[in-house]
Amino acid sequence: MKKKMGRDEGHSFNRWDIFSILISFLALTLFFIIPPPSGLSHNGWLMIGILVMAIILWITTPIPIAVTGLLIMVMQPLLGIEAAEDVFHSFGNQAVFFLIGVFILAAAIEKHGLHRRIALKFLSMFEKSPRMFTFGIMISSAFLSFIMPTHGVAALLLPIVASILVAMKAIPKQSNFGKVSMLAVAYGCSIGSLGTPIGGARNVLTIGILANEGIKISFFEWMKYSMPVVFIAIPTVWVILQVVFPLEVEDISEAKKEIEEQVGRMGGISRNEIIVSAILSVTVLLWVFFSSPKYMGLAVISLIGSMLLFFTGSISWEDVEKRVPWGIILLYGGAITLGVGMNDTGAGAWIANAMLDVAGNNVYLVILFLIMLTVILTNVMSNVGAVATLLPIGLGVAAGFSNISPLLSSMVVALSGGLAFMFVISTPGNAIAYSSGYFSTRDLMKAGSIVNLACIAIIFAIAVIYWRGVLGI
Amino acid sequence: MFEKILLPISSEFYPRNAMRRGVFLAEKFGSSIKILYIIEEKTLEKADRISDIYRTQYEKEETESNMEQEYLSVADRIVFEDAKKFFDGKGIQFDGKVIKGEFSDVIKDEIERERYDLILMGFEKGCLLHYRILENSDIPIWIESAAEGREVILAVCSNLAPNQKVPEISVELSRTLGWELRMLYVVDTQDRVEVDKTGLRSGRKSEEELMSAGKSFLEEMTRNGIKASMVKGILEKETIKAAKKIGAGLVVVGREQKKTGIMGLSFKTVKKKLVEKCNYSILFVN
Repeated sequence: MKKKMGRDEGHSFNRWDIFSILISFLALTLFFIIPPPSGLSHNGWLMIGILVMAIILWITTPIPIAVTGLLIMVMQPLLGIEAAEDVFHSFGNQAVFFLIGVFILAAAIEKHGLHRRIALKFLSMFEKSPRMFTFGIMISSAFLSFIMPTHGVAALLLPIVASILVAMKAIPKQSNFGKVSMLAVAYGCSIGSLGTPIGGARNVLTIGILANEGIKISFFEWMKYSMPVVFIAIPTVWVILQVVFPLEVEDISEAKKEIEEQVGRMGGISRNEIIVSAILSVTVLLWVFFSSPKYMGLAVISLIGSMLLFFTGSISWEDVEKRVPWGIILLYGGAITLGVGMNDTGAGAWIANAMLDVAGNNVYLVILFLIMLTVILTNVMSNVGAVATLLPIGLGVAAGFSNISPLLSSMVVALSGGLAFMFVISTPGNAIAYSSGYFSTRDLMKAGSIVNLACIAIIFAIAVIYWRGVLGI
Repeated sequence: MFEKILLPISSEFYPRNAMRRGVFLAEKFGSSIKILYIIEEKTLEKADRISDIYRTQYEKEETESNMEQEYLSVADRIVFEDAKKFFDGKGIQFDGKVIKGEFSDVIKDEIERERYDLILMGFEKGCLLHYRILENSDIPIWIESAAEGREVILAVCSNLAPNQKVPEISVELSRTLGWELRMLYVVDTQDRVEVDKTGLRSGRKSEEELMSAGKSFLEEMTRNGIKASMVKGILEKETIKAAKKIGAGLVVVGREQKKTGIMGLSFKTVKKKLVEKCNYSILFVN
C-alpha cells in the first residue's frame, strides 16, 4: 500500500502554507496592538483576534485543523484572556465522552461490515428504476449517517456505488447517472448528518456549548428539531439532482446483478454482526428515551454501548486504535474553548450586535442572515470550525434579541453548518465522493449552489414555522 | 508524421472523444497507439488531506485501496474495453498500461522512456489536474475538444513565437487530412517583443516594427500558396475569436514566449487560457 506523502511524513511547508501561518499570526498581533472598539473589553478584542487567526488557519489548513484547535486552547492563557484552568475546564464536557463512545461504536460497525450490509439492503429495496436507485443511495447515506459519523458512511458507499457504476458502464464525468449517484452519496451523508447528534462533531459541539449555557438537549430532542429538516431536504435535493442532471440510463439490471453479487460475497450475517447490531439498537433506544439529564445523559449511554462491545469481544483496543480519530477530540476541545471564550469575554455578543446593526431588528432577517453566514463559512472551512466560529455569535444574537432563544439560534447554526455542498474542500464526504471521478468540481458547484439555496430555504422555514411557531423555542 | 501516439487518460477524466480522434489519426497516419491510464495520486491525497483528522490513517489507507481497485475496474471494464471496440475493429495497433502517479509527471516519464510523435488527450477544467505537461513537452500535444468543428485548420503564428514548426506541420496536416488551411498572424499588443527562430525574446519593439515583420511573414506565406491574414490584439483572444469565426476543426499554435500577469508573473499560461476558452481542438507544436 502506498505510503502517504507530504504532511504525514512530517513534512515541509510550501510557500502558501508559510504565508498563511504568517498572516494568521499577523492578524492576531494586530488585534493585540490596536485598542479595542468601544463597548468591547481588551480580552474580548483579543478573543476575536484568536477567532480570526483560527478562521485563516481553518480555511488555508497549513497545519492540521486539530492543531489549530490546540492553538486556540494555548493562546487564551498565553494572552491572559482566560486562566489555563478555566480553558481546559470547558474541555471536560460530557459531550467529549459521548463523541468517544460514538467513534468506538462506529469502529465496531465498520470492523464487522454491518454498515455495508445495511447499505446493500437499502439499495436492494430501490432497484425499480434508475431514478429510484439514486433515491435509494441518498436514503442509505442519510440513514447510515444517523448512526455513524458521515465520513465513514461516504467511505463505505464510495466503492459500493462505484462498482455498480462500472458494472453499468457509466462513463466517469460524462454519465449523469454517475454524477447523480455520487452526488447522492455526498449530499445524502451531509443531510443525514443533521438528523442525530452522532452524524457530525459539530452537533456534539452544539450540545456541549449549550450545556455550558445551562441548556441540556437529549438525543430525542435533537431529533425532534432536526428530523423535519432531513425529511424535507432529502426528497428536495434528490429532485434537484434529477433536474440538474437528467438521467440517461433506463436499464437498472446491471446494478441489480452487482448488488446481488456483493450481497452474495458478504455471505450470511455473522455472530459479531448480530452482537454489534443488538448493542447498537439498545444504545440508540437508550439515547432516544433515556438521554435527558434526569436519566443517564448522552455520554453515559454512549460509553455503556462501547463497553458492551468490549465485554462481548466484538471489538479490541487495537481496533479502537485503528479506527478512532482522536484528532477530532482535540478539534472539539479547541472549538468548545473558543465558544466559551467568545461568550465569557463578550466578544460573541459584540459581533452579534454589529451583525444586528446590519440586519436590523427583523427577526426573520436575522435568522436568514445567520443561516447564510454559516452556510458560506461551512463551505470554505471545516464544518466544526464554522459552527465553533458562529455559535457564540448566535448566542450573542439570542442575548440581544428577545424574540430569538439561544436554543433556536444554536440549532440554526448547527444545522446550517452541515450544508456544505459546493466545494470538494467543504467536507470529507464531498472529497471522498469526488475521488470516484464521476463528477467534476463544476458539477459539484452547479448542483451544490442550487442545493444550498434550497436547504437554506428549508432551514429558514423550519426555524420560523416549526421551531418558533409550533415548538415555541 | 504521427507514427506513435500516446493517449494518456487520467482517472480524473476519461475523454472518450480523444479515443475517437485517435482512430481518425491512426487511420490517416498509420499510427500505433499507446493508452496510459493514470491513477491520480493527487486526487487520493486531496481526499486524504480533507479527511485529515476526521479519519484515521488506517481508514484512509483502506479507502485509498478500495478506490484504487475501482480505478482499475474503470480502466479494465470501461477504458480498455472501449479501446478494443474503437481500435480492434479498424485494425489499429494499440496497447495500454495502468500507472499510478501525477498526470503530467507520468506523461513526462513515458515520453522520456519511449519515442512518441504525438500526445493526444482531452481537457477538463473542473478537475484537480494542472496540465503542466502543456508547458513541459517537446513533442506536439493534441487537445481534443468535445465540439465538432469544420474541416479547417487554423494555424496561428505571432510575434511571440519562432513560427517555424507551425507552418510546416500545418501544411503537412492539411495535405494528409485533406482539410483547408488558414493562417493567422497575430501582432500581440500586450507583449511587444519579437521572438526569433531560436525562441529568444527581443527587447521591446514599436507596433509599426511588429506589423512590418508580420507583413513580411504574410508575404512569405502567400508566396507558398497559404491563405493568410493578420490581426493585432491579444494573442489568446484573437486566436479564440478567429477559431470561432471559421469554426476551425483544429487550431495549431506554436511555442509562444509570452510574458503576462502582474510584473511578468503569469497566473495562467497562454496555453492553459487557450485550452480553457477555445471550444475547438488545439494542437500545440512545441
